[in-house]
Amino acid sequence: MDPEVSHFETEMNRGFLQILVLAMLEKDMYGYAMVRTIRELGYEVEENTLYPLLRRLEKNGWVKSKWDVSEDRPRKFYGITDAGRGLRTELLGIWKKQDEILKRIMKETSRV
Amino acid sequence: MFEKLEAYLEEISHFLSGREEREEILSEIRSHILEKAQQEFGETTEATLAKVIAAYGPARRVAEKYLDGSPIIAPAFKRFLFRYTALLFAFHFVFTVAAVVFKKSFLMFPIVYIPSMGPFEALCYLPMAFLFDLGVVTLILYLITQSKKEVKLPWPRFSVDLDEVKTSGRTIGRIIGLAAMTALTGAALYLYIRYQTIFLIKLHSAEFRPIFTPEAGQWFSLILIGLWALSAISLAIKLVTASPWVDAVKEGLSLVLLGLIFRQPLDTALAVQLPAGLVRLIKINLTITVFIICIFVAVDLIKALVRIGRRQLAK
Repeated sequence: MDPEVSHFETEMNRGFLQILVLAMLEKDMYGYAMVRTIRELGYEVEENTLYPLLRRLEKNGWVKSKWDVSEDRPRKFYGITDAGRGLRTELLGIWKKQDEILKRIMKETSRV
Repeated sequence: MFEKLEAYLEEISHFLSGREEREEILSEIRSHILEKAQQEFGETTEATLAKVIAAYGPARRVAEKYLDGSPIIAPAFKRFLFRYTALLFAFHFVFTVAAVVFKKSFLMFPIVYIPSMGPFEALCYLPMAFLFDLGVVTLILYLITQSKKEVKLPWPRFSVDLDEVKTSGRTIGRIIGLAAMTALTGAALYLYIRYQTIFLIKLHSAEFRPIFTPEAGQWFSLILIGLWALSAISLAIKLVTASPWVDAVKEGLSLVLLGLIFRQPLDTALAVQLPAGLVRLIKINLTITVFIICIFVAVDLIKALVRIGRRQLAK
């Protein structure tokens, strides 16, 4: 990919990843499972980006976490909070509005 | 215990030092890497862990993603870091030259204290002075940034030509200037080699006579030849590079040479006996003239340093 495009993609991913994570965490998940699920959906996320994001979301009270040590390997599970659901609704609203604006512009451009 | 994994986590830990949640972060990364190695390679060995670690990214980059992105100096103030440092250092430089020449200490509380020193000590002192200036300016800008107040930093408006576009007219001018300065330096050197001075006067007699005593004549001649040679060299270099460092070095050295003029007492420098009043008048006029030249050179030096700072910022 063109480095310039890659740079823009990284910028765009920042916002998208937050919505994506908040949408996925309706069911409790641990980090590696999230990475794999996202990949199966046809999208790539850098592992070293996901964990700091989860930490920031948790710090702000939008997600909560707990360690599961019942198995051989301890795993940290994340889940969304009520505040996180509120944020997700607002972010999705913004995203839809942006999408509509873009679609309208593209429609007008194609007419020209 | 896997050596590669522990070494990797240790490295991340180093970059995260001071963060209370460090152990938690490291535990999560450890868990992820072990899980991925097992899931994707079917076994957890040093070799599979090495592959997973390589994909996870360099330790410093990983740690940086956990650190707050708040800058030490606000981006809007970055250009002032170079501007103020250049300005402060230019003052430091000028007063250091003065301290060497006049053998006096200068104190401008609380920013500048320059002790009386020799030329060699000055060469050692100036890099320290630059670091001090940079530190002072950085500290002030850091405190302003951390205060999060809307501060408009002052800066005099003078135009600095940042875009040194090589026009053909400018190049021709430089070539003419170079030829003139080379001819002047050559002629002065010829006179100096022949008479040990370039300050000669032809009165009624057919012979040239030196204006200054041999010692003063040599001193002033070498300084003037040095200044002309500096101009010639800088013009020659500017034909091949537009680096503002050329001007900065030239103006800096010119200031040193101009300052050295005052090391020779003028009262006893003249070869001919003149009335004391006239000697005093010449001395005052020469001092004012050199001082004005010094101011122009200092302004050019500041401009060159600002250009260097701007270039660094642009990069």
